[in-house]
Amino acid sequence: MAESPAQTAFAEEALTHLDTLYRGALRLTRDPDQAQDLVQEAYLRAIRYQHSYQQGTNMKAWLFAIMRNLFWDRFKGSRKEDVSLDDVGEFVLYDKLRDEGARPEADVLDKLAASEVVKAVEQLPPLHREVVLLVDVEGFSYKDAAQALGVPIGTVMSRLHRARQQLQKSLYDYAVESGIVRGNGGQPVPQP
Amino acid sequence: MNCKDCADKLDRYVDRELNSTEVLELQLHLEGCPDCEEHYEFQAHMKRLVKHACECDTPPAFREKLRQILS
Repeated sequence: MAESPAQTAFAEEALTHLDTLYRGALRLTRDPDQAQDLVQEAYLRAIRYQHSYQQGTNMKAWLFAIMRNLFWDRFKGSRKEDVSLDDVGEFVLYDKLRDEGARPEADVLDKLAASEVVKAVEQLPPLHREVVLLVDVEGFSYKDAAQALGVPIGTVMSRLHRARQQLQKSLYDYAVESGIVRGNGGQPVPQP
Repeated sequence: MNCKDCADKLDRYVDRELNSTEVLELQLHLEGCPDCEEHYEFQAHMKRLVKHACECDTPPAFREKLRQILS
Protein backbone atom coordinates (compact mmCIF):
# COMPACT_ATOMS: atom_id res chain seq x y z
CA MET A 1 0.00 0.00 0.00
CA ALA A 2 2.70 2.49 1.01
CA GLU A 3 4.67 3.30 -2.11
CA SER A 4 7.38 5.63 -0.82
CA PRO A 5 9.34 6.20 2.41
CA ALA A 6 7.17 9.25 3.04
CA GLN A 7 4.02 7.17 2.75
CA THR A 8 5.48 4.51 5.01
CA ALA A 9 6.34 7.15 7.60
CA PHE A 10 2.83 8.59 7.32
CA ALA A 11 1.25 5.17 7.79
CA GLU A 12 3.50 4.47 10.78
CA GLU A 13 2.54 7.73 12.43
CA ALA A 14 -1.14 7.17 11.69
CA LEU A 15 -0.98 3.72 13.28
CA THR A 16 0.18 5.22 16.58
CA HIS A 17 -3.42 6.49 16.90
CA LEU A 18 -5.01 3.12 16.22
CA ASP A 19 -6.25 2.53 19.78
CA THR A 20 -8.10 5.85 19.77
CA LEU A 21 -9.77 5.05 16.46
CA TYR A 22 -10.62 1.50 17.45
CA ARG A 23 -12.11 2.54 20.81
CA GLY A 24 -14.12 5.25 19.10
CA ALA A 25 -15.34 2.91 16.37
CA LEU A 26 -16.22 0.20 18.88
CA ARG A 27 -18.29 2.54 21.01
CA LEU A 28 -19.97 4.10 17.99
CA THR A 29 -20.84 0.83 16.23
CA ARG A 30 -21.15 -1.26 19.43
CA ASP A 31 -19.89 -4.19 17.39
CA PRO A 32 -16.24 -5.38 17.21
CA ASP A 33 -16.50 -6.63 13.60
CA GLN A 34 -18.12 -3.44 12.36
CA ALA A 35 -15.57 -1.44 14.33
CA GLN A 36 -12.68 -3.21 12.62
CA ASP A 37 -14.26 -2.70 9.18
CA LEU A 38 -14.79 0.96 9.93
CA VAL A 39 -11.26 1.53 11.20
CA GLN A 40 -9.72 -0.32 8.25
CA GLU A 41 -11.71 1.75 5.79
CA ALA A 42 -10.78 4.93 7.67
CA TYR A 43 -7.07 4.11 7.43
CA LEU A 44 -7.29 3.28 3.74
CA ARG A 45 -9.05 6.57 3.15
CA ALA A 46 -6.49 8.42 5.25
CA ILE A 47 -3.64 7.00 3.21
CA ARG A 48 -5.44 7.85 -0.03
CA TYR A 49 -6.05 11.43 1.07
CA GLN A 50 -2.89 11.99 3.07
CA HIS A 51 -2.06 15.01 0.90
CA SER A 52 -4.95 16.79 2.58
CA TYR A 53 -3.40 16.34 6.02
CA GLN A 54 -1.48 19.44 7.08
CA GLN A 55 1.78 18.56 8.79
CA GLY A 56 1.98 19.91 12.31
CA THR A 57 -1.77 19.76 12.90
CA ASN A 58 -3.49 17.19 15.10
CA MET A 59 -3.31 13.89 13.21
CA LYS A 60 -5.38 12.05 15.81
CA ALA A 61 -8.24 14.52 15.38
CA TRP A 62 -7.92 14.31 11.59
CA LEU A 63 -8.06 10.50 11.64
CA PHE A 64 -10.97 10.48 14.05
CA ALA A 65 -12.82 12.88 11.76
CA ILE A 66 -12.37 10.48 8.83
CA MET A 67 -13.57 7.54 10.90
CA ARG A 68 -16.63 9.27 12.33
CA ASN A 69 -17.60 10.70 8.92
CA LEU A 70 -17.49 7.17 7.51
CA PHE A 71 -19.58 6.02 10.44
CA TRP A 72 -22.22 8.64 9.73
CA ASP A 73 -22.17 7.86 6.00
CA ARG A 74 -22.68 4.18 6.70
CA PHE A 75 -25.16 4.28 9.51
CA LYS A 76 -27.05 7.51 8.97
CA GLY A 77 -30.72 6.73 8.61
CA SER A 78 -30.31 3.10 9.51
CA ARG A 79 -31.20 3.66 13.13
CA LYS A 80 -33.90 5.60 14.81
CA GLU A 81 -32.07 6.55 17.97
CA ASP A 82 -29.50 8.69 16.31
CA VAL A 83 -29.83 12.34 16.91
CA SER A 84 -32.13 13.36 19.69
CA LEU A 85 -31.53 13.16 23.38
CA ASP A 86 -34.46 13.23 25.75
CA ASP A 87 -34.45 16.31 27.88
CA VAL A 88 -33.60 15.09 31.35
CA GLY A 89 -33.51 18.64 32.67
CA GLU A 90 -30.72 19.73 34.95
CA PHE A 91 -29.87 16.33 36.37
CA VAL A 92 -26.85 16.52 38.64
CA LEU A 93 -26.01 13.12 40.06
CA TYR A 94 -23.97 14.64 42.86
CA ASP A 95 -26.92 16.75 44.06
CA LYS A 96 -29.29 13.81 43.70
CA LEU A 97 -27.10 11.56 45.83
CA ARG A 98 -26.69 14.29 48.43
CA ASP A 99 -30.44 14.75 48.62
CA GLU A 100 -30.81 11.05 49.25
CA GLY A 101 -28.20 10.97 51.96
CA ALA A 102 -25.82 8.73 50.03
CA ARG A 103 -22.55 9.92 51.53
CA PRO A 104 -19.80 10.09 50.66
CA GLU A 105 -21.25 10.50 47.20
CA ALA A 106 -18.12 9.22 45.41
CA ASP A 107 -18.53 5.82 47.09
CA VAL A 108 -21.57 5.24 44.91
CA LEU A 109 -19.41 5.62 41.80
CA ASP A 110 -17.04 2.95 43.07
CA LYS A 111 -19.95 0.52 43.26
CA LEU A 112 -21.00 0.95 39.65
CA ALA A 113 -19.95 -1.89 37.37
CA ALA A 114 -17.71 -0.84 34.48
CA SER A 115 -19.98 -2.74 32.09
CA GLU A 116 -22.91 -0.57 33.18
CA VAL A 117 -20.90 2.58 32.59
CA VAL A 118 -20.04 1.37 29.08
CA LYS A 119 -23.70 0.51 28.52
CA ALA A 120 -24.75 4.00 29.61
CA VAL A 121 -22.20 5.56 27.23
CA GLU A 122 -23.30 3.31 24.37
CA GLN A 123 -26.94 4.25 24.94
CA LEU A 124 -26.21 7.90 24.28
CA PRO A 125 -27.18 9.05 20.79
CA PRO A 126 -24.04 8.96 18.58
CA LEU A 127 -23.83 12.75 18.29
CA HIS A 128 -23.50 12.98 22.05
CA ARG A 129 -21.59 9.73 22.48
CA GLU A 130 -18.77 10.85 20.22
CA VAL A 131 -18.19 14.00 22.30
CA VAL A 132 -17.90 11.95 25.49
CA LEU A 133 -15.51 9.58 23.72
CA LEU A 134 -13.28 12.39 22.55
CA VAL A 135 -13.23 14.55 25.69
CA ASP A 136 -13.64 12.06 28.52
CA VAL A 137 -12.10 8.88 27.13
CA GLU A 138 -9.44 10.26 24.77
CA GLY A 139 -8.71 13.50 26.62
CA PHE A 140 -9.21 15.81 23.63
CA SER A 141 -9.41 19.52 24.30
CA TYR A 142 -12.69 21.16 23.32
CA LYS A 143 -10.85 22.77 20.41
CA ASP A 144 -9.50 19.47 19.08
CA ALA A 145 -12.87 17.78 19.60
CA ALA A 146 -14.51 20.61 17.66
CA GLN A 147 -12.00 20.06 14.84
CA ALA A 148 -12.61 16.31 14.76
CA LEU A 149 -16.38 16.76 14.72
CA GLY A 150 -16.48 19.78 12.43
CA VAL A 151 -18.56 21.86 14.83
CA PRO A 152 -17.98 25.04 16.87
CA ILE A 153 -16.51 24.72 20.38
CA GLY A 154 -19.82 25.91 21.85
CA THR A 155 -21.54 22.91 20.26
CA VAL A 156 -18.97 20.58 21.81
CA MET A 157 -19.65 22.12 25.20
CA SER A 158 -23.41 21.95 24.95
CA ARG A 159 -23.42 18.36 23.64
CA LEU A 160 -20.99 17.34 26.35
CA HIS A 161 -23.12 18.94 29.03
CA ARG A 162 -26.27 17.19 27.84
CA ALA A 163 -24.46 13.90 27.36
CA ARG A 164 -23.10 14.00 30.91
CA GLN A 165 -26.54 14.80 32.29
CA GLN A 166 -28.01 11.81 30.46
CA LEU A 167 -25.12 9.62 31.49
CA GLN A 168 -25.54 10.54 35.13
CA LYS A 169 -29.29 9.95 34.90
CA SER A 170 -28.73 6.48 33.39
CA LEU A 171 -26.19 5.58 36.07
CA TYR A 172 -28.49 6.85 38.78
CA ASP A 173 -31.35 4.72 37.42
CA TYR A 174 -29.01 1.71 37.39
CA ALA A 175 -27.86 2.47 40.95
CA VAL A 176 -31.47 2.54 42.10
CA GLU A 177 -32.41 -0.65 40.22
CA SER A 178 -29.45 -2.51 41.63
CA GLY A 179 -30.03 -1.25 45.16
CA ILE A 180 -26.84 0.80 45.37
CA VAL A 181 -28.97 3.81 46.32
CA ARG A 182 -32.53 3.85 47.57
CA GLY A 183 -34.05 6.13 44.97
CA ASN A 184 -36.57 7.72 47.26
CA GLY A 185 -37.53 10.41 44.81
CA GLY A 186 -35.26 13.00 46.25
CA GLN A 187 -36.66 12.84 49.76
CA PRO A 188 -33.86 12.92 52.31
CA VAL A 189 -33.14 9.59 53.94
CA PRO A 190 -33.62 9.99 57.71
CA GLN A 191 -30.29 10.05 59.44
CA PRO A 192 -29.86 7.86 62.55
CA MET B 1 -16.42 33.65 43.24
CA ASN B 2 -19.55 32.13 44.77
CA CYS B 3 -20.74 28.51 44.72
CA LYS B 4 -22.95 29.02 41.67
CA ASP B 5 -20.08 30.51 39.64
CA CYS B 6 -17.96 27.60 40.78
CA ALA B 7 -20.57 25.01 39.76
CA ASP B 8 -20.91 26.70 36.35
CA LYS B 9 -17.17 26.36 35.75
CA LEU B 10 -16.66 22.93 37.25
CA ASP B 11 -16.98 20.99 33.97
CA ARG B 12 -14.43 23.22 32.27
CA TYR B 13 -12.12 22.96 35.26
CA VAL B 14 -12.31 19.16 35.21
CA ASP B 15 -11.67 19.26 31.45
CA ARG B 16 -8.72 21.69 31.93
CA GLU B 17 -10.37 24.27 29.74
CA LEU B 18 -10.22 27.32 32.05
CA ASN B 19 -7.58 29.99 31.60
CA SER B 20 -4.97 30.50 34.30
CA THR B 21 -6.83 33.37 35.98
CA GLU B 22 -10.05 31.36 36.14
CA VAL B 23 -8.16 28.35 37.48
CA LEU B 24 -6.67 30.45 40.25
CA GLU B 25 -10.03 31.96 41.20
CA LEU B 26 -11.67 28.56 41.24
CA GLN B 27 -8.90 26.92 43.25
CA LEU B 28 -9.11 29.70 45.82
CA HIS B 29 -12.83 29.08 46.14
CA LEU B 30 -12.36 25.31 46.43
CA GLU B 31 -9.80 25.75 49.20
CA GLY B 32 -12.33 27.63 51.28
CA CYS B 33 -15.46 25.67 50.37
CA PRO B 34 -15.57 21.97 51.36
CA ASP B 35 -18.93 21.47 49.61
CA CYS B 36 -17.64 22.67 46.25
CA GLU B 37 -14.37 20.78 46.76
CA GLU B 38 -16.39 17.61 47.33
CA HIS B 39 -18.48 18.32 44.23
CA TYR B 40 -15.32 18.83 42.20
CA GLU B 41 -13.83 15.53 43.44
CA PHE B 42 -17.06 13.81 42.45
CA GLN B 43 -17.01 15.27 38.92
CA ALA B 44 -13.36 14.35 38.46
CA HIS B 45 -14.07 10.84 39.74
CA MET B 46 -16.97 10.54 37.29
CA LYS B 47 -14.74 11.53 34.38
CA ARG B 48 -12.09 8.96 35.40
CA LEU B 49 -14.78 6.32 35.74
CA VAL B 50 -16.01 6.85 32.18
CA LYS B 51 -12.47 6.86 30.84
CA HIS B 52 -11.43 3.66 32.58
CA ALA B 53 -14.66 1.83 31.76
CA CYS B 54 -14.43 2.66 28.05
CA GLU B 55 -10.74 1.97 27.62
CA CYS B 56 -9.83 -1.04 25.57
CA ASP B 57 -6.92 -1.96 23.34
CA THR B 58 -7.06 -2.86 19.69
CA PRO B 59 -7.10 -6.64 19.19
CA PRO B 60 -3.49 -7.63 18.30
CA ALA B 61 -4.57 -9.69 15.28
CA PHE B 62 -6.43 -6.72 13.81
CA ARG B 63 -3.48 -4.42 14.50
CA GLU B 64 -1.18 -6.78 12.63
CA LYS B 65 -3.61 -7.20 9.74
CA LEU B 66 -3.92 -3.46 9.36
CA ARG B 67 -0.18 -3.00 9.55
CA GLN B 68 0.26 -5.47 6.72
CA ILE B 69 -2.43 -3.83 4.60
CA LEU B 70 -0.83 -0.42 5.02
CA SER B 71 2.78 -1.47 4.51
